[in-house]
Amino acid sequence: MLEIKNLQASVGGNEILRGLSLDIKPGEVHAIMGPNGSGKSTLAQVIAGNDAYEVTGGSVRYENEDLLDLDPEERARRGVFLGFQYPVEIPGVNNAYLLKAALNAKRSHEGLDEIDAFEFLKLAKEKMALLDMDPKFLNRGVNEGFSGGEKKRNEILQMAVLEPRLAVLDETDSGLDIDALRSVAEGVNALRHPDRAIILVTHYQRLLDYIEPDFVHVLSGGRIVRSGGKSLALELEEKGYDWLKEAANG
Amino acid sequence: MKSQLTIDALRSAVGSMPNDGLAAARDAALKQLNKRGLPNLKDEDWKYTDLDAVIRISNEWLAAGAKTSLVAVSEIEAVTSSLDLDWLVIGNGTIDADSVAALQRPGLDIGLLSELDSAPEFDAPLADLNVALLRDGLSINITADFAAERPLGILHIDSADAGVSVSQTRVAINMAAGAQASFVEYHASSGTAAHYANSVVDIDLTADSRVDYVRLQDRSALHSQTGRLRVDLSERSQFHHATFDFGGDLIRNDLDIQINGGDCLAAFSGLYLADKDQHIDNHTRVDHRVGPARSEQEYRGILSGSARCVWNGKAVVHPGADGTDANQANHNLLLSDRSEIDAKPELEIYADDVKCSHGTTVGQLDEAALFYLQTRGIDKSTARQLMMRAFAQKIVDISPILSIRESISDLVAKRLGQLITGAGQ
Repeated sequence: MLEIKNLQASVGGNEILRGLSLDIKPGEVHAIMGPNGSGKSTLAQVIAGNDAYEVTGGSVRYENEDLLDLDPEERARRGVFLGFQYPVEIPGVNNAYLLKAALNAKRSHEGLDEIDAFEFLKLAKEKMALLDMDPKFLNRGVNEGFSGGEKKRNEILQMAVLEPRLAVLDETDSGLDIDALRSVAEGVNALRHPDRAIILVTHYQRLLDYIEPDFVHVLSGGRIVRSGGKSLALELEEKGYDWLKEAANG
Repeated sequence: MKSQLTIDALRSAVGSMPNDGLAAARDAALKQLNKRGLPNLKDEDWKYTDLDAVIRISNEWLAAGAKTSLVAVSEIEAVTSSLDLDWLVIGNGTIDADSVAALQRPGLDIGLLSELDSAPEFDAPLADLNVALLRDGLSINITADFAAERPLGILHIDSADAGVSVSQTRVAINMAAGAQASFVEYHASSGTAAHYANSVVDIDLTADSRVDYVRLQDRSALHSQTGRLRVDLSERSQFHHATFDFGGDLIRNDLDIQINGGDCLAAFSGLYLADKDQHIDNHTRVDHRVGPARSEQEYRGILSGSARCVWNGKAVVHPGADGTDANQANHNLLLSDRSEIDAKPELEIYADDVKCSHGTTVGQLDEAALFYLQTRGIDKSTARQLMMRAFAQKIVDISPILSIRESISDLVAKRLGQLITGAGQ
């Protein structure tokens, strides 16, 4: 589904990703872990198509297409979803409006009619109930005045409504209290599906107690330095990230 | 400012006006205009707005005999049919007597300024020009038993085809104690020649009265307009206002609010959407003379092309006006690096127990928000429109007359479409 080969990317002239390779198949959940500055968020932004990040080498193929050739909106319509570490506030743009516009953009790409207003509302409310969200959030500006936890729930709500093929969740656990973490994890687990792949970008092992990954990768210095099963996350929790510096330099 | 009004031609134009109840006021206004002249760039309040183009239009019109034509009925109806209002029409500076006669409501009395004993005032820049060339003005008196089905619309429409033209309009609104009314001041234009329109509106609010007042300006790119809106508030009266500038070449709005009684509220806002080489200047001034009272203002603008806009918001809290709460905000989006906004908040505070705030921002569309919308499947151009629309809609949402908000939203959307197309060129 997603093949990343020798990816190199820089931001503001600083090289962040230095030859990252990763292969992801439908149905799999991959956790990308690593210390601050290792390139985790850069990877997420590059997959989503943020042009502030310059790809200087390597390739990313998604469903047999060159992903890097597509605009961010084209990637989204093909089922690539990024859950932001810092979801953006957009005052005045109604949350329900965005949700519906996003869904219709995807449906239109798939050759489907626009969803009717009643069906949309039913769908949105059903997903909100799953995430323990007050339906009032639909009528507010996108993330406008939301708390950190509300913003993250809103990201997962968008994911739940859009049903992406590939979801990249960037530090979805940061800033969440334990209840919020639980309902967010529940939302993610509900979306696990043989046709869908999920990439969890996280600094801490905590999230992985609630969403069990199939694979864990350790990112350091812009490269994957170790891959393994979920036990690797526990090992990291125990040993910290310091040992990686030696591995990366060596 | 290079040009000067040709005063001899002006004198002869004033001399050819009817010998009616305004004749003496016209002569006195002309004398003052002759003495004081029009404001120029050396005046602090006019340093960003050059009236040169307006003076050239005026001189050309005076030289050609200061002729006035009528506006075609079809042009008028194109506007009056677009909004469900009780319309009074002033076409090329001439009051449509039929529209006045047709409007009979309990609690509403409409007369002509030429038939009143008191002359209109002209102690403000451009008000002397207004009175000197004024054909006639409206006097609207509203009492507490007035209950309208729809707002009153006052259409200032101008049409110049044969040559450049100039018009003066004047409206005086008197609200009796406890009276309430809504007004829409609409500026429209047509024609292939340049035009200069100059309006003065005075609103006098007696105790416990309330006015909701929306100004919509959708003139052609050949027309320039200067306008002064003077509002006097007595005890417990309220003035709710929003002004929208979509069209025009050079536009200058002066809003002058006098709070003369306690427990008053003045809430006003504005939106200017400018492109090409438009110049739109909003000068507001609130004088808090008595407290407690509150004034709230928020102006927003979106500029593209080589547009230049000005927002100057002044609040003066006079000695003894304790309990004053004055807040002002001005936010601007610049879509091109050739556009320019001059934003200037001014607070002058001479009382102790006062709360005042101001905030001004100038920026571009938030790139992070645009990318966020793109990652949700929305293309960049739609995302830009969505964000501009949201930015502008705030002013529509706080505008006071509910029944016309949707129509204003449509005008905003149409105008933003033009700004976006222009920005891409």
